[in-house]
Amino acid sequence: MAEAEFAPDHMRHGGSYSLARSLVGLGNRRCSIGAGKGDVGRMAKMILWNRWLGPLFLAAVLTTALIGPVDAQVRGTIFGPGVRQYPIAISDLKVIRPDGGPDDAAMQFADIVGRALELSGHFRVIPRNSHIESPQRSGIDAESISFADWSVIGALALVKGTIAVDGEQVRIEARLFDVFQRRLLFGRNYHGNRSNVRRMALRFADEIMAQLTGERGPFDSRIAFVSTRGGRFKEVYVMSLDGGDLRQVTFNQSLTLSPAWGLDGSLLYTSYQRGNPDLYRYDPRSGIQTRLVHHRGLNLGGTYSPDGSRIALATEDRGSPNIVVVDRDGRILQRVTDSWALDVSPSWSPDGGELAFCSDRAGNPQIYVAELRGGAARRITATGTYNTSPAWSPRGDRIAYVSRVGGRFHLFTVRPDGTDVKQITSGGGDNEDPSWSPDGRYLAFSSTRSGARKLYIADASGAFQVQLTQGGGDDSSPAWSRWID
Amino acid sequence: MVKWRLRAAVAVVLMAVFLTGCPRKPQDADTDPWARAGETDVFGEDGIAPGSSLDRYRRGLPQDGADGDIPGAVPSPLQDVYFGYDASDLTEPMRAILRTNADWISRNRNYRIEIEGHCDERGTGDYNLALGGRRARSVREYLVALGIPAERLSTISYGKEFPVCHESNESCWSRNRRVHFVVRPAQ
Repeated sequence: MAEAEFAPDHMRHGGSYSLARSLVGLGNRRCSIGAGKGDVGRMAKMILWNRWLGPLFLAAVLTTALIGPVDAQVRGTIFGPGVRQYPIAISDLKVIRPDGGPDDAAMQFADIVGRALELSGHFRVIPRNSHIESPQRSGIDAESISFADWSVIGALALVKGTIAVDGEQVRIEARLFDVFQRRLLFGRNYHGNRSNVRRMALRFADEIMAQLTGERGPFDSRIAFVSTRGGRFKEVYVMSLDGGDLRQVTFNQSLTLSPAWGLDGSLLYTSYQRGNPDLYRYDPRSGIQTRLVHHRGLNLGGTYSPDGSRIALATEDRGSPNIVVVDRDGRILQRVTDSWALDVSPSWSPDGGELAFCSDRAGNPQIYVAELRGGAARRITATGTYNTSPAWSPRGDRIAYVSRVGGRFHLFTVRPDGTDVKQITSGGGDNEDPSWSPDGRYLAFSSTRSGARKLYIADASGAFQVQLTQGGGDDSSPAWSRWID
Repeated sequence: MVKWRLRAAVAVVLMAVFLTGCPRKPQDADTDPWARAGETDVFGEDGIAPGSSLDRYRRGLPQDGADGDIPGAVPSPLQDVYFGYDASDLTEPMRAILRTNADWISRNRNYRIEIEGHCDERGTGDYNLALGGRRARSVREYLVALGIPAERLSTISYGKEFPVCHESNESCWSRNRRVHFVVRPAQ
């Protein structure tokens, strides 16, 4: 799957790579490695007919290529999110159509890139109505851009590009310029179906983050969450990070709780669909929901190990809930805890060797870490009488959790050894359900700070926080996927 | 030996049919006379007790309403018991209520009892589900200690999902931290 990895340095020399193979690989790992032509064709056909992967696969011809030399002046984390925001202008794309007409995708691309960059907290996006230079009457080369028109409105960086439209197919050439130095920083080409403009924009935003902050952004990913937006039932939904591409996943008309992502894009969740809270897996390729673990009592908080081979969950198969590890078919492989206490909410360390979880074995809920090799679990929260919902960062260096402070619930993070506690949220409302971004720089969570429970994201310091979902109903339990490719 | 194997095989097949079942789809009773044959209530299937909190939620009924209008629901003569914050222990007043409940349960042997554990709205969903489970088990253990056969009692937790009272104050919270009893005819 090396071709799916994001590697700006490699791509600088390598030129282009294809997302197609990585997407096929995503559907079935065997198909990406040494599959015969027939297999690939069959896979492609299967995927094309699939409601979820079809559009993605059509975008799979979405390729990226480097245009110019990359040597950004602004590199590394010299500015932090929320502290000093980098002013960037994102011009609408210049439309190239056989009929010479306008195209909504030109504005859509700019909007989504802008939304993602704003969510990052690193950027201040200069509003469209203050742009001076017309996209249609200018080029996208450093020589043909009027940089003075951009510097006068305060832009330090500028996104320009073209979109060539041919029926439902679009080809986007997007470039990032340093306005002060009047030169190209980098460019990317994407092509595919019009329905994939969103992902092209989110990928480009991630690349801008890579160029200007030194690390790829987290936005070409999805969030699964629980919502009552469709009525009284708690159902699982999935959306893009910009809030677009919203899909309702479950129609169980029951309680459905705690979604978690599999490496292959599948989802785990607990549902009372058949009366008992059982653990289910949803496969977006087939649309089939499979019941995986159904011991009498709770089967809750299922989460895949980092390599996808195992699932940790809390189950009440012996009375009080304990943490167990099961295989992909739900058979118990290991009992991580076996006590009278309430042990819930397991979260894997990135190396798969340890599990953080919540237990009330000391009389009230606290966060513990257990090594899967065995031995006593160690307690890592020292203060407070209510610490729950551990979420281990994919970077490995911190564990986020929820703590009750002064009658309110707030997010904190702590090192896995229990030192260096940091408070992430404060103020009114209850903040719960932390989930890390794939790059470990952000946390998605739910909060009642503005009334109804909605989703938010914060950077890992908490300095920058932004509301992600709006509208009716309660949104909770966000699960941030890995990068899509 | 062969006979035993055959029986085992038949049992396995029957079990498989029973366990996998067939998803019931709503069908027009006019065109399919079998559609509702033997089917008393679609919400009653899959182990969801008629009149239970989950059944009420699925029907869009308030949690504190009467059971009268729910097909198959047995109006419960059993009283709820209420817990302290983050607590699952039974105080003497709670035990007194449970002894009254136990009298009824032991006199009415044709019923099974589902013991539902509930929590107030504060705190984490998963932890509250665990806490509700412990409240239900705590009540079940006491009823068993009073002589009720364990097989007549089942437990389930709904955490903070099904409050009877919807305001954010202690008088509401204390009503929501409860164990509720659902009575079902024994099959």
